[in-house]
Amino acid sequence: LLEGTAIELVDPESAGASAAVVKGAWPGVRQSRGNDAAAGPTGAAWIDSNGWLARLTAVRRPGTAVWIDAPPEGPRVFPDSYLIAIADSAAFGARWILTLDDELAGRIAAREPGALATWNRIAAASRFFADHMGWTGWQPQALVGVVSDFAGANEFLSQELLNLLDRTGMHFRILLKDHLPASPFTGLRAVLYADQQPPSGALRRQILDYVNTGGMLIAAPKWGAGPGRTASQPGHPRFSEKLLGKGRIALCAVEPDDPYVLANDSVVLVSHRYDLVRCWNSGAFSSHYTMAPDRSKAVVHLVFYAGRGPDSASVRITGKWRAAAISTIGDPSPKPVRIETQRDAVEVYLPQVSQYVALQLEG
Amino acid sequence: VKIMACRYSRRQWFSKTASAVSGAWLSRVIPARAAAPAAPVAVARCRTYAPNELLPVMSKMFDQIGGLGRLVKGKTVAVKINLTGAPTYRVGYLPLEDTHYTHPQVIAAAAHLMGKAGARRIRLLESPWATADPVEEYILRANWEPRDMLGASPNVEFENTNFLGSGKKYSRLKVPYGGLMFPAFDLNHSYEDCDVFVSIAKMKEHATAGVTLSMKNCFGITPCTIYGTGAGVDEPSLLPKGGRGLIHSGFRGPSMSAPQELDPRSPREDTWRVPRTVVDLVAARPIHLAIVEGIKTMNGGEGPWIGEELTGVAPGIILAGTNPVNTDAVAMALMGFDPAAVRGTPPFEACDSTLQLAEQAGLGTRDLHQIEIAGTPVAEAKFDFAGIRRKRRASPPPPGKLVG
Repeated sequence: LLEGTAIELVDPESAGASAAVVKGAWPGVRQSRGNDAAAGPTGAAWIDSNGWLARLTAVRRPGTAVWIDAPPEGPRVFPDSYLIAIADSAAFGARWILTLDDELAGRIAAREPGALATWNRIAAASRFFADHMGWTGWQPQALVGVVSDFAGANEFLSQELLNLLDRTGMHFRILLKDHLPASPFTGLRAVLYADQQPPSGALRRQILDYVNTGGMLIAAPKWGAGPGRTASQPGHPRFSEKLLGKGRIALCAVEPDDPYVLANDSVVLVSHRYDLVRCWNSGAFSSHYTMAPDRSKAVVHLVFYAGRGPDSASVRITGKWRAAAISTIGDPSPKPVRIETQRDAVEVYLPQVSQYVALQLEG
Repeated sequence: VKIMACRYSRRQWFSKTASAVSGAWLSRVIPARAAAPAAPVAVARCRTYAPNELLPVMSKMFDQIGGLGRLVKGKTVAVKINLTGAPTYRVGYLPLEDTHYTHPQVIAAAAHLMGKAGARRIRLLESPWATADPVEEYILRANWEPRDMLGASPNVEFENTNFLGSGKKYSRLKVPYGGLMFPAFDLNHSYEDCDVFVSIAKMKEHATAGVTLSMKNCFGITPCTIYGTGAGVDEPSLLPKGGRGLIHSGFRGPSMSAPQELDPRSPREDTWRVPRTVVDLVAARPIHLAIVEGIKTMNGGEGPWIGEELTGVAPGIILAGTNPVNTDAVAMALMGFDPAAVRGTPPFEACDSTLQLAEQAGLGTRDLHQIEIAGTPVAEAKFDFAGIRRKRRASPPPPGKLVG
């Protein structure tokens, strides 16, 4: 079965330091009793996704391959669920450890044609991402930098914040507070600091320098009092706002304990005006917008979590792009799609697609 | 025979008996049909949303119904717009404003003209789907530019009325005649803290209410923190969750802090409940100016989630009046429907007529003979939604059709 596929048979024990194996969630629209979609805080369907986890692990363990261990769960596993599982990891630079549900495994072993067709689609998905490994080195685009150690007392809030920012469609950069890269805040509209401990003096100075030059800091009260003058305009009801240099600081009025509220408030503070990707008729989806090192090309990975891919979805991507093409697992060779130029973005019109689309843009 | 002797037409007889069958609730409606008021309605053709076409058309319409100045000068004007459904949901690839959202250029033009007419403050109100986010943030997701509306006149602002918003407490607005469904509603303060209330609706069919026009637009003034699927049980929830399934199906009551349904044994069918709730809302929060825009819209329902075959259409119609029942009656005629239609006849095949109930509640007449129509005659402006509906319903929808 593995012959000719991009699926590797690996003993986890022998993977050693070259792979970071992390426990994830079976991705998709979470089912509640009776097969209904479970709802999030607003009533919208709740999505389980490992994209944030794949990215966090990659930042924590640079240079290692990230493997997501998320076996199938739930009352029913559909053939397309495997495509979602593979794409949900691979779109964010990781690999899903292929784990078949018992029923499918048995049917494949019995060489049932339907089961073999599912297997072939799994193999095609694995092949697709293996053929495009180069994309994993492209730079993720982001509006917000989340600064934390993502561990200890901060683990729940900070990690859930990444998960929920993903759900709001906010594109973020993961910044380990003790291992910041060079120019960590370049290109960001805001930095989010929600840790329970105040930042070190050096980190505080670095962030305030960023604010002074026009950035925005969103922080928990533990950030502490700081410079700046109180904003005259009434701002967000759950934040007190200060102006500092060309930027502003939004301080949570009370210690945040609900990552959903903090994620959603952060998106409002930054504003949807700057959304990097907007999608219509997509249903529940994730997007990961990455750019080639020379910034002449980009790929927007779109993962659709519903039982079937969307029909007549359209996607707006910030940036000046002159051409767009899509590749899917079923049809890997890029196909041009209709594009409409807007003031600071393009809108792309997708045909009926499956659960994953690589939207490739050329400047 | 006895009824005919009372000079009821067959249509009126059906109308009356349908009401009687609907239950004793209508006995609370005091005024008789003859008492229902009439006011002029202005109708205009307008082919595009270009401000150089739209502004003069709307300006003329407002003059034809008595002028904006007498209505808004020195006043705080609250404008309920229609942004139904999530902003991420389109009919095919069409922009939301070309199908089911009130077009931002119509909102901007109305705000501009109100400002010119001396309005002190113009407040654009909506209860966007399942969110307490500012309306500005919501419409950005629809690919709109809030500044187009905020900049239309000085002192224009938005408020999300799907929750407590910027108020200290909810405002209780009573239904003057006691209510068909609810005796009063707890609403965002914006619906009380205004001198003039305007409804700007999109001209559309509606799966539950037959049509959605200036009155049905006001269904969305109810905050989902109290009347939504995830409303708090005892007190309003902090954040709105889900839609208004609670009113639709009556599977539970609103938060206990709010006035409850008059008769918990009333029918649980949304086609019965929604029209009555709308009439109660319009009585509790009267509309001073009704604008219905059908320059571009959709047919088949009120939004992309409707299972019928949906298409974008361009009727090129806009109308306005100071009485919402009169205005909606003319709008129905412009759509090719009979405004006097009752349950069982298009577009009310399966539901009660909001117009009929509103007329019986004394809010306004739906009798076109009693309504002065200014501007373009109905026959010249008519766009045949009714005919399209007949054809559409004559053939089954394509199998496995995906909407959006």
